Amino acid sequence: MNMREELKKYSEFLTTIRQFFSAQNVVEVKTHQLLNHPITDVYIDSIATQVNGEISPQHKYLHTSPELEMKKLLSRGSGDIYQICQVFRDNEQGSSNFNEFTMLEYYRLGFNVHQLMDDIVDLINALGFNSQAEKMSYAQAFFKYTDIDILNASFSELKIIAKKYGLTTDFEWIEDLQIFMFTALCEPKLKEIPLCFIYDYPHQQAALAKVESNVAHRFELYINGVEIANGYDELQDAYEYEQRFISDISKRKFLSKYTPELDNEFIDQLNGSLPQCSGVAIGIDRLLSQIN
Amino acid sequence: MAYYSTSQFKNGLKLILDGNPCSIISNEIRKPGKGQASNRVKLKDLITGKTLEKTFKSGESLEGADVMELDMQYLYSDGETYNFMDPESFEQYTVDDTGMGDAKGYLVEQDMCVLTLWNNNPISVTPPNHVTLEVADTDPGLKGDTAGTGGKPATMNTGVVVQVPLFVSIGEKIKVDTRTNEYAGRA
Repeated sequence: MNMREELKKYSEFLTTIRQFFSAQNVVEVKTHQLLNHPITDVYIDSIATQVNGEISPQHKYLHTSPELEMKKLLSRGSGDIYQICQVFRDNEQGSSNFNEFTMLEYYRLGFNVHQLMDDIVDLINALGFNSQAEKMSYAQAFFKYTDIDILNASFSELKIIAKKYGLTTDFEWIEDLQIFMFTALCEPKLKEIPLCFIYDYPHQQAALAKVESNVAHRFELYINGVEIANGYDELQDAYEYEQRFISDISKRKFLSKYTPELDNEFIDQLNGSLPQCSGVAIGIDRLLSQIN
Repeated sequence: MAYYSTSQFKNGLKLILDGNPCSIISNEIRKPGKGQASNRVKLKDLITGKTLEKTFKSGESLEGADVMELDMQYLYSDGETYNFMDPESFEQYTVDDTGMGDAKGYLVEQDMCVLTLWNNNPISVTPPNHVTLEVADTDPGLKGDTAGTGGKPATMNTGVVVQVPLFVSIGEKIKVDTRTNEYAGRA
């Protein structure tokens, strides 16, 4: 394919995404990419930049995801929204990770994670990838590919099991060992499934998803074994957001990574006004390369 | 012995895994959206020849294996052991039947090959990709037959059996591809 054809193909891909949302009355938005606070996620690093050096120097941070800014819109009554934007991350490694990539992020009011997963399948089908989706809970994936009861194993039990599988146990927190074991033991098997949703994550990996009966209403989408999307039934309670940010910040501090200050502005804006909704972040460069 | 961190992993690096020396075939870094990076590594066990797939946490260290690959001349076999010489240092090495593996079917005296040494002990022998062997035994072919009509088995002077074209007869020298055990033409 020559350059012009390649560009046209990508442009048509974006047009199809926009048509898909427009037909469902989901509104396209743009939010700030230059933020006052870096992300608190333990293993995602913001890229910092200094602005206004000639007036009054100030640090700003490129957004790693439009999630928090879009949640501000949702709490102010935006209704269903989506955004296609570049996001920026520091210290990325690997052949399919980059410091800059394109993200599609969208939120549907009143949806639970299963409705949102179905909607993502519709979107992917609209993009010309006609495949049925397989759905597996996080626990089922471990039962299918190993004999590990991942939701009920304590940190010390899991370390003994990891050793049996010849894996390192050098982790500070149980969720890191769970993620490592999923990467080592389950993920390679997902290559055989064209479209696979993993849902109901251990509560320790809730991120910003609601937790019910010890399970986080969170899902990830894998296409041919490649991680494409991450979605939640979004946490609504401002106090709970604050608790999760504080926990992440303390873990970052423990790991000697930069430690952001609590984003009180976000928590104040949320304050009881975020409607029940499910949202997802989709890496669309990876999506395009997998469905092609 | 030196230790190697995952950040130093590269193809061909030799490491000790479960007590055996292994060579890295491929190394892929995987960083999940919400987690730490890990390295998915394919390795070849240099003793068993098996390919292994292992996942390491990025930053994990493994012990390096003192493995060397040296060009050697195959001298002779006394039936139980096989003897080799480094043509530069004239140092001699002895390999047992297990260490020889498939190589014993491809080496005739004076041939060059690669000897893999672990802690200065030979662990495997790699013959050249193509070797010239003499046909010791095969059924007579049909007169006037040309290549490409199925072929027949032929036993070489080294004992290995190779599928050859029907026109090949006893006493003839042929080229054999040691990676596929296939006939590669008349020598």
